[in-house]
Amino acid sequence: MEAIKLDIKKEKKAHKSQTGLSILWREIIHDKLALISLIFFIGITVTVFVISLVLDLDEIVRVDLFAIHEPPSRTFWLGTDYGGRDIFGQLIIGTRNSLLIGFIVTILTGVIGVTFGLISGYFAGHLDNVMMRILEFFNILPFLMLVIVFVALVPKYSTVSFSLIMTAFLWMEIARIIRAKALQERELDYIQASKTLGTPNWKIMFGHVLPNLSSLIIVILTLNLAANIGLESGLSFLGFGFPEDTPSLGTLLSYARNPQTLQDRWWIWLPAAILIFLLMLSVRNVGEALKRATDPRQRRG
Amino acid sequence: MSFLEVKDLQVHFPIRGGLLNRKLDVIRAVDGVSFRIEQGKTYGLVGESGSGKTTTGRAIIGLNTITSGQVIFEGNDLTENKNKRLDVRKDIQMIFQDPYSSLNPKKRVLDIVAEPLRNYERLSRNELLERVVDLLEKVGLTAESILKYPHEFSGGQRQRIGIARAIALKPKLIIADEPVSALDVSVQAQVLNFMKDIQKDLNLTYLFISHDLGIVKHMCDEIGIMYKGRYVEAGTTEDIFNKPQHIYTKRLVAAIPDIDPRNREKQKQFRAEVQAEYQHSFDYYFNKEGLAYPLQSISATHWVAMPEGGS
Repeated sequence: MEAIKLDIKKEKKAHKSQTGLSILWREIIHDKLALISLIFFIGITVTVFVISLVLDLDEIVRVDLFAIHEPPSRTFWLGTDYGGRDIFGQLIIGTRNSLLIGFIVTILTGVIGVTFGLISGYFAGHLDNVMMRILEFFNILPFLMLVIVFVALVPKYSTVSFSLIMTAFLWMEIARIIRAKALQERELDYIQASKTLGTPNWKIMFGHVLPNLSSLIIVILTLNLAANIGLESGLSFLGFGFPEDTPSLGTLLSYARNPQTLQDRWWIWLPAAILIFLLMLSVRNVGEALKRATDPRQRRG
Repeated sequence: MSFLEVKDLQVHFPIRGGLLNRKLDVIRAVDGVSFRIEQGKTYGLVGESGSGKTTTGRAIIGLNTITSGQVIFEGNDLTENKNKRLDVRKDIQMIFQDPYSSLNPKKRVLDIVAEPLRNYERLSRNELLERVVDLLEKVGLTAESILKYPHEFSGGQRQRIGIARAIALKPKLIIADEPVSALDVSVQAQVLNFMKDIQKDLNLTYLFISHDLGIVKHMCDEIGIMYKGRYVEAGTTEDIFNKPQHIYTKRLVAAIPDIDPRNREKQKQFRAEVQAEYQHSFDYYFNKEGLAYPLQSISATHWVAMPEGGS
């Protein structure tokens, strides 16, 4: 027995390199652009979350009439807006809020979509039929309009409640992909074998089917993260996202709707615009590399 | 009371289509199959692809829904109360045709073989490890393989992992669905002989599904021949291979290749005879729809599908 235990440790090391996750990782290492993007994204995320711990939000969003529209200087690194509020502070807090929403929405849509799709695809038949009709109902709802209604109805909303409303309309695509994959997977012999071995359905779904979809799920979620960050910024830009006292990348960008700001005061909107662009691009680069890794013919690593 | 008795088993698959996905017609995959197996014996189910032999096996273990008929296992009718199924599952296990898709590629051998044990027996980690190593040794794999993934094994080894999983719960009946047809011929014998060995050791009963008559002759005590969801002939291996009665069986037996070149002419002539008989007596052996007639007994162990009053 001792000998076997010793072997376990050794073998674990030797066989770790065969799993799906390591293939994804290898692809990123081999794609320099994706690697740089990943480092950049992690760097920005860590920086933003660490600095925002130090910054005082109330201090930043307090209106200071003596410092309106200051260009970048030593006291205000990126100048101030029309309320005399520090742009740099808003940028940090705003990026944190945008990323936070991106993460929360991606994870929530992931959990709901994967569970829904897995159940629907695994059981197939009538249940699948009913669940797909429910999904289609959600699909035809006009997303933008309902978000506008929500913003009008709820006077004071937080990061969490805003994430929830976005989640409610964004889980369908994931569910569809997972369902299609689960339908394929359930016909394979190893699922039939598990059934004859007396494994309960939920265990087969989450213990056998899910691990086989893991790389696909990671790819979808990464690509969705980029989309969700963009979506939040878009909504805030249109004025249906966060109010001004909760800065996000979108609210900073929306200052550019003022022609004077757009022309003369670049420091208010340009940093936010560049940051949105870089963040989405880097997440997308990583996502595309992961997507390639799931198809052996496209792999580079 | 026999060990396993199948009575008039029918498995129909609906053909859906038209408006509102109505049931238009059914495919009679298994259309009234009856047989019985004694404990410790091997029963062969033979037929061309699409004849319903796999469906029969899968219906017995519960992977396909039974339309009508009875499956009586040790005196319990498996079709009657579904609740009893779970207990019986322990005693009936299946070996799958394709060793490549029947093992979860994301699981280690340890988890694959331990799956049935985890479902039915409460064992500590060490006991479990011991049992799995024991099972793997029984099928001729080393203890080191428990932490490998299925793709690190050859087809024959994978099939033996599948067998280890099937015998983990010490079942009484094993349904072997073309267990070697996906394997290399050189490995086939190895797996088959191994299956025979464990049959003796564990007192197993096999329902052996195959289209390879050579293997069936080697493995089985009794044989049933299926054609389009029905039985055409059933009997002992002796009956089927030496005294085939139905034209379909005759054709199957005639198709077994003979490697001795001296018999080539004889074999050729024999085949021509059978072919001629097939052509002029097809209407006699099959009804208007081209299906086999109900079985009629011609000896204590031998049944043939014949029209009423025929001989």
